[in-house]
Amino acid sequence: MRRVGWLALGVLVAAVPWLVAAAVPRQQRYVLHVLIFTALFAALALSYDLVVGHVGSLSLAHPAFFGVGAYTAAILATTARWPFVADVAAAVVAAALVAGLVGVPLFRLAEHAFAVGTLGLGLVASVVANNWVEVTRGPLCITGIPKPKLAGFAITTLPAYYWLALAALAGVALLYRGLTTFRLGRAFHAVRDNEPLAGAAAINPLKYRMLAFTIAAGLAGGIGALYVHYLSVMCPEEMTVALTVNLLVIVFLGGVGSLRGVLVGAVLFTALPEVLRLAPTWRLVIYGALLLLVVIRSPGGLESLLRRAPAR
Amino acid sequence: MALLEVRGLTKRFLGVTAVDRVDLTVEPGELVSLIGPNGSGKTTLFNCVTGYLGADGGRVLVRGRDLTNAPPHRVARLGVARTFQQVSVFPRLTALENLLVFLQQHQEESVLARLVRAPGVRRLEAAAIERARRLLDLVGLDAKAGLPAGSLSYGQRKLLAFAGALMPDPDLLLLDEPAAAVNPTMINQMKEHILGLHRQGKTVLLVEHNMDVVMDISQRVVVLDHGQKIAEGTPEAIRRDPRVIEAYFGR
Repeated sequence: MRRVGWLALGVLVAAVPWLVAAAVPRQQRYVLHVLIFTALFAALALSYDLVVGHVGSLSLAHPAFFGVGAYTAAILATTARWPFVADVAAAVVAAALVAGLVGVPLFRLAEHAFAVGTLGLGLVASVVANNWVEVTRGPLCITGIPKPKLAGFAITTLPAYYWLALAALAGVALLYRGLTTFRLGRAFHAVRDNEPLAGAAAINPLKYRMLAFTIAAGLAGGIGALYVHYLSVMCPEEMTVALTVNLLVIVFLGGVGSLRGVLVGAVLFTALPEVLRLAPTWRLVIYGALLLLVVIRSPGGLESLLRRAPAR
Repeated sequence: MALLEVRGLTKRFLGVTAVDRVDLTVEPGELVSLIGPNGSGKTTLFNCVTGYLGADGGRVLVRGRDLTNAPPHRVARLGVARTFQQVSVFPRLTALENLLVFLQQHQEESVLARLVRAPGVRRLEAAAIERARRLLDLVGLDAKAGLPAGSLSYGQRKLLAFAGALMPDPDLLLLDEPAAAVNPTMINQMKEHILGLHRQGKTVLLVEHNMDVVMDISQRVVVLDHGQKIAEGTPEAIRRDPRVIEAYFGR
């Protein structure tokens, strides 16, 4: 029964471009654009939750890894004319490599100091993106990033890009599930819940933290690459620390450490501000009030509401 | 060869010598207790042996292998299990998962094999679940297997932590006050568990304040005072030792 349910959901989600075309023909481009953003944000938030939710380290450096991937792909695709698949792979590797290098010293910092240290990394990355003009073109942005080509198919239309983003999200979700359940998940959670005891259980806390951190960074880099291929432009403002705030809202108000929670959070908190455009003046006020409402009524995130529901 | 050999171990905190050139040897199959007044350095010694504190001097050898200042996970990996004075569990894992996590790192599979749940890993996991259920049964927590460990009572968590330490079938078990702050029935239970391990040939080093427990079950007792070893011998000899009486009651 569960399988059938998932299959039906998959078919429904994949059929969205046609449904949108039928329901709101004049708004199709806009709605698909929001959905592509939602899928990419959901994937990014899932990668972020590997670190925040599963090994319990509050990293604020995720925009930096997203940015490293985005710039790697942007530069390779424009000046070096690398094919799409190769530059995405390079973006994953570059971001994971940076995480691997900075992770060991960063994880020597405990809890709050770790958050501040990663915030520092995020700020440095943003400053570099703005000022290393020879490479990043700084505020002039890298433009003319070609549309992706995958196995001979050029992905140029919005529905095609929607399916690509959806496939990326599915891939990230699958990896997320594999990493956070069974023996790996248990080791991650042991480190998160009680680090000294994890040592007594023969777990090397640093090894598991680094594993989550570098995989998360690699995924963020890959999503950064898909993002710039979609927008065809990469500017420094795409990777400011403000991006962390969006991710924190999605992860913590959706349901930290939960696949379902993060997905719900991504859909709600990426799509909601758009829906609220119906009331432009009060948009951000209503958004802020809704965030407060969630925090007060359900401190464990929306996921905890789903869990409390008796139906199962 | 001694299972555990501590030679001249020294640990200082800001000029206070918490452990002062202590020698301690535990032979395979022995049940040894470490006693001493509060602040005499028992737990500090435990923490130095298991890698939680770096020693300022001396050496720690397990089966002749130098483990001085090795990190906790390496010490554990080499067959030394420990419990903590403050009950220590993984609160958000279930009772069953708490036990499973104590065994899995001793079984070397690659990250990839775990990620894709290779058949070999599944078999190990199934065997681990069976062992965990037997241990939960042993400590009387079989009905709590699926509950988060954080929701268990203090005593139940203490038993769970004890069972966790047993999961990898360790060569040496270091128990830090297993009978502290639990009710008399449970103290007896704990005593039986420890004696049971001893009968199976396990090696146990115990830190304990409860003298009834110590005198009842230990083969040998080591007494610390102000970080120094002041006496060592059978429970009967220790009971009569004037230095021990002085350390506990003053002159």
